[in-house]
Amino acid sequence: MLKLSRLALAASLSTMLLAGVAHAQSKTFNIWWFEDPTSSENIAWTKALDEFKTKHPDVTVNFQLKTFQQLQASGSMILNSDQAPDVLEYNKGNATAGLVASQGLLTNLDDYVTKEGWDKILTPGDLTLSKYDDKGIYGSGHVFGISVYGEYVSCFYNVDMFEKAGLKVPTTIDEWVADMEAFKKQGVTPLALGAIDTSGQHLLASLAYTKADDTWIQNYQGLKAPLDGAPYLYAAQTLSDWVSKGYINKDSTGMKDPDAALLFTSGKAPMYVSGTWNLGNFASTIKDFKWSQFVIPTTKYSVGSTGNLWVVPKGSKNADLAAEWISLTLSPKYQTELANDGGVAIAADPATITNPVGKNAASVFKQIADKNGLGFYPDWPVPGYYDVLNQKDTGLFQGTLTPQQFVDQIKKVYDDAQSNQ
Amino acid sequence: MAAAQGTYATQRWGYYFYLIPGVLGFLLVVLIPQVSNFVLSFTTWKGVGLPRWVGMQNYQRLITDDQFWGSMIHTLLFIISMTIIPVIIGLVLAALLFDYIRDQWGEQVSSLFRAGFYLPQILPITTAGVLWGWILSPIGVVNIILKGIGLAPLAQNWVGDATWALPSVSFMIVWIQVGYCLVVFMSGLSRIDPSLYEAAELDGAGWWQRLTAITIPMLAPEIFVVVLTTLIAALKVFAPIFVLTAGGPDNATLVPSYLTYYHFFTTQRVGYAASIAVVQMALTVVLAIIFLRFQAQQQAKE
Repeated sequence: MLKLSRLALAASLSTMLLAGVAHAQSKTFNIWWFEDPTSSENIAWTKALDEFKTKHPDVTVNFQLKTFQQLQASGSMILNSDQAPDVLEYNKGNATAGLVASQGLLTNLDDYVTKEGWDKILTPGDLTLSKYDDKGIYGSGHVFGISVYGEYVSCFYNVDMFEKAGLKVPTTIDEWVADMEAFKKQGVTPLALGAIDTSGQHLLASLAYTKADDTWIQNYQGLKAPLDGAPYLYAAQTLSDWVSKGYINKDSTGMKDPDAALLFTSGKAPMYVSGTWNLGNFASTIKDFKWSQFVIPTTKYSVGSTGNLWVVPKGSKNADLAAEWISLTLSPKYQTELANDGGVAIAADPATITNPVGKNAASVFKQIADKNGLGFYPDWPVPGYYDVLNQKDTGLFQGTLTPQQFVDQIKKVYDDAQSNQ
Repeated sequence: MAAAQGTYATQRWGYYFYLIPGVLGFLLVVLIPQVSNFVLSFTTWKGVGLPRWVGMQNYQRLITDDQFWGSMIHTLLFIISMTIIPVIIGLVLAALLFDYIRDQWGEQVSSLFRAGFYLPQILPITTAGVLWGWILSPIGVVNIILKGIGLAPLAQNWVGDATWALPSVSFMIVWIQVGYCLVVFMSGLSRIDPSLYEAAELDGAGWWQRLTAITIPMLAPEIFVVVLTTLIAALKVFAPIFVLTAGGPDNATLVPSYLTYYHFFTTQRVGYAASIAVVQMALTVVLAIIFLRFQAQQQAKE
């Protein structure tokens, strides 16, 4: 099925390219995104694109599926050239969308927000990451991008294994630890983890955010003060404790996220902490057991954010069409479609969602977003912090760094960036 | 006399015309990027917008950067796994294939082995990296086999443990590099007069003696070329690290090229990345010059 859909995608891509050559004279509309071929976003947007094409028979629509890495590595240079498309998905945050917005490479979408009624569909919180100021810092300034989905980090768990062990879904960290201890006693390593990839730092930050208040999050994400390491110290101590108790395998430092996810999807590990981008994969690969997700018990903040942004490059000749495309993906029809494909819809009416995975995800996201609990990702404040956290947390997990050394080292990089803004 | 010189000069000018494509290519691909990289190394730049001149600041930072010095030390270790070990293994294997396997089992078996050893060179390194990632993963093939044959204590967290990560990556690099050395050495061997070996054999020289007395001295030009090219490759090694460990765990396998990539694309310290690249280039050029001088001296002696 996967192969077939890829084949179909390739075929449609090549016909599109051919069409682009044949109708070079007519109006062309170039659009890029980089969601995984099997992801719910890709499925929903592909359907939306079909509708978009039938609505505009006079426009030649050229779609290209990019990869996250491609745009992460050379996005700013593409936007700075005449090769930029009319609308594209772009990674949100200061180091990416903020940087190119501050360099004047994106179209200001302020007028479209009211004209297209996006402000009525999205809450002010949903628009936090859409706005960037002159320095490229999010939260205020003009709207340069629109997100049409959400994402958050939670704990995926194997419902069958929980029921068989007679365990309940934890509502506090202590209950969570008790569950892990129970699995450990049965000889099962409770938590799958790929420390080389994102899931190490996401687990770390999820724990740190349980000790975070509003000031800490604002200072941390805004790079406003030298790092207050206390929440990270708590997280690091907890994790090194979990490694020594065997809740997390020390070997996780040699595993990537797909390896760890495999431990969960094959039913070997009962829990796996990672983001909602796994939903599509889990929904299609897990057939033998029931699974669900719970939010890591926290007072307010969770790791998560609104999704990547639709941005309109400065050189776009079809800004109106681009806005129409954004509106289409925000429309109730395609929000419901996204949720039914297992994605995290940002503005879908739960009553219309039939897929339980998408329904649960949309409601969990709404819960977190409504209490302003989106703490964003831990690597955002400092460019390159993603790699720093990955490198240092593998040191923590393999035991070459003590929790205090870990905090000292990540604080050094943070404070360096903070003082050199 | 004067007239003859004139025609000679015009004739030579005619030839310069043919240099234009090469010179253009050199300018576009080598010289201009090098010069702009050099200039960038004195600036701070985020990849878009205007670079700002900061003088020697990037180089000052470099001197105190532990990550940079760590990566330099790793480079020294990669010289062992990219140059020294593959050259030695390549030599022995080439000699074995050339005058033992081929004599015993014939040309086809020898060619089969040669192709087999060269295969890793043809395989895209990203593919090889993913495969090695699976093989070396804690739940991968190596550990499954070790556990299966009762050697569980030997199973390691190959790429995730700082002690084992560097040797593991080195092992994969040796696997890639041996084929290159082997093929060059084998083509060199076919150049050597077989009567030398026959004479040595008649005098009662064993395989090892023939290797050290004939093969290695006769192959000196090939060995020089292979050592130089693999040395340069070791100084700028990137792809195996990128696909297998991303420089981890805790920077245990970081190399200068990866550090350059990291600062260029993720921290957006393009100027700083450029300064690392400048140091790397200077080192490579210096090493190459020393080496070529040495080679010229050796040849002059002969």
